[in-house]
Amino acid sequence: MRVPLVSQSLGLGRRVSSAAADAVGRAGLAGLDALLEWRYTDEAVKRVLASPVADHAVGHALRGPLVDAVARDLAQSAVLESPAMERLATEVIESRLLDTIVERLLESEELWIMVDEIARSPAVTDAIGQQSVGFADQVAGQVRVRSQRADASIERVARRLLRRSR
Amino acid sequence: MSVSDAHAAMSAQAQAAATVRAHGPELADAAPPVYAGLVTRALAFAVDAAIVDLTGIFVGVVVGLGLSVLKTPDTVDHLLLAVGGVLFVVWTVSYFVGFWSTTGQTPGNRLMQIRVRRESSDEALRPRWAFVRLIGLGLAALPLLLGFLPMLLTDRRRGLQDMLGRSVVVHVRGAR
Repeated sequence: MRVPLVSQSLGLGRRVSSAAADAVGRAGLAGLDALLEWRYTDEAVKRVLASPVADHAVGHALRGPLVDAVARDLAQSAVLESPAMERLATEVIESRLLDTIVERLLESEELWIMVDEIARSPAVTDAIGQQSVGFADQVAGQVRVRSQRADASIERVARRLLRRSR
Repeated sequence: MSVSDAHAAMSAQAQAAATVRAHGPELADAAPPVYAGLVTRALAFAVDAAIVDLTGIFVGVVVGLGLSVLKTPDTVDHLLLAVGGVLFVVWTVSYFVGFWSTTGQTPGNRLMQIRVRRESSDEALRPRWAFVRLIGLGLAALPLLLGFLPMLLTDRRRGLQDMLGRSVVVHVRGAR
């Protein structure tokens, strides 16, 4: 007789605690609703976001494992390969935003310095040189070099002769 | 001015500013000029002479062949010969004066990567000074080519034609 009584007591206890938890949960949600509808809530959120606390919180989040976890989840769920992301990328490319970015880039001195550096780099100049220097150019180049040596030689001879005649 | 024009202008401005930052504003004027010597200039002139003469010969041969099938009196032949001579002189003067006073480079100069310019600035000669220089070239050749001798002895390698034409001949930068 004692065993059924104990089990009934335990079942009653579970129901009571479950009902109490539900009541507390509902009360909490009602409190949250009341808090969100409170006229000071909006102003409080604005003040929190404007405070250094928000900056610190974001900084901590970005420095912590959150970013790695997000990247890992993105990779695992293949979000970047999804049709939605493809549509998003297409919209970005076709949007005015990309035109603006390109225009700003073209107005940037840094970009043209980079282009200039690349254009003057040995790899690029060698590639252009190999295409444009033909046999005739090589011959003409050699003639120029030798003629300049001859210029110097003939002047040395002329000046030596002039000194002797004096 | 449209928006795209404004952006293009700003882009060009940024490009120019980047060039100045990367190379410095006076890079082109920083290095002293290198004056071309006698041999280089003689080779360039030989190329020009070949172009002038071959063109004259080609035109003369074409006109002569054309006239050979026509029966023309001797007087007309002599007149055409005189006209041809004048045209050849005009062609020669135009060739040298034209190139010296525009790009400063005849085809021969271009081949040898040298350029005729004013003695006092980097600009090409005025046409009248280019003409004077051509006359000076003839005068320099007259006394057994002695007019070219100063090119071997002067610092700026100037011959009589350069002194008369107020010019110098320099190597084109980056070509040496």
